[in-house]
Amino acid sequence: MSGETAKRRFRDIVLPHLDDAYTLAKWLSGDGADAEDIVQEAAIRALAALEATTPLKPRAWWLAIVRNAALTFVARRRPNALAFVDDLDEIAAEGPDPEAALIARDEGERVRRAIASLPSPLRETLVLREIEELDYREIAAATEAPIGTVMSRLARARGALARMLGKSP
Amino acid sequence: MTDEASLKRAQMALDGELDAANQLAFEEDLARSPELAAEYARLSALRQRLRAHASREAAPERLRARVAALAAPAPSYPRARAAAMAAGLALAAALAGYWAGGATKDPTLAELVAGYQRAALSGQPVDVASSDRHTVKPWLAARAPFGSLAPDLAKDGFPLLGGRIDIVDRRPVPTLVYRGREHLISVSELPRSEDGGGETTLDGYHIERWRDRERSYVAISDIEAGELAAFVAAFRRATSS
Repeated sequence: MSGETAKRRFRDIVLPHLDDAYTLAKWLSGDGADAEDIVQEAAIRALAALEATTPLKPRAWWLAIVRNAALTFVARRRPNALAFVDDLDEIAAEGPDPEAALIARDEGERVRRAIASLPSPLRETLVLREIEELDYREIAAATEAPIGTVMSRLARARGALARMLGKSP
Repeated sequence: MTDEASLKRAQMALDGELDAANQLAFEEDLARSPELAAEYARLSALRQRLRAHASREAAPERLRARVAALAAPAPSYPRARAAAMAAGLALAAALAGYWAGGATKDPTLAELVAGYQRAALSGQPVDVASSDRHTVKPWLAARAPFGSLAPDLAKDGFPLLGGRIDIVDRRPVPTLVYRGREHLISVSELPRSEDGGGETTLDGYHIERWRDRERSYVAISDIEAGELAAFVAAFRRATSS
């Protein structure tokens, strides 16, 4: 059972960033219903952690929990959907599948499909940067990767998206 | 500079990760090099497309409600009751507090807080429900060794809901119940004692204690501390003669 202090921190830290959490979970899982389960699971973890923690960067801290909950969820639900870091070079060498992005006529749909087609380490790094607007240090902490890796993943994600999307229509 | 290093630098500039000196140097290079300028323009254009089409989404209401419920200080009573009575107590918190209550240093406070929690949890915060002090006063006087003043504070924004008897140290104590916004405020009247004055909290409840010539008072609520202070000020005004 949760203490009042943890609950108060939770209301200050988690509730204001629920949209961000949902957005991130949806990008990482690819599914709205899964995203709800992920955010709820992350919220339970966050509340438990807040018994003993006052995070310095609350929003980045909370999004890191969401990211970890999403990884666990996706690994459990769809073991094959997750690209591990070791496999990354292989996957990137094959190149993201541009087919889905190309067949979509609507620009928004093309952009979303292109992001969705990125291997998950590239996708999560890109989403944390471009949509959640975390800085490199925060992304490094959230994804448990060195800053250099964050930068190269970002560069590769952007390069892949530029190739898939081509010039603006 | 290699292409890769150059790209990383452009990316850092785009992401606002260069310090002032490096940003300045980058901007100077940008002005000199059409290739770099083109690269940077491509990165900026991609960002704009991404942000235009992959924006934040609002969390569904039911998710918001479920997550908020995890840390709610105040789940509401069933609807039918909510209209009649003040809502606003966290069931989970109250239960936790109930068990923790016995371990505190001041047994009187712990018993009063437990009384508050029990009353709110049961959905029956009062034994006698009336906004009329002339009903509440004699009811309490008949059951406790000393009567209550039961001041009318409706004009201050704290309507009287009624009264109940709490048991403290095995003795009956008259407790008045008021409503402040959607919260319950209880005021118990005890024999005058010298110890314990001022504000404190127990199990997340705000408590304020004071005394006059005859009695000591303990006000308990899950309302904000500032509002409880306003309530106490109104109560003291009304009971000072």
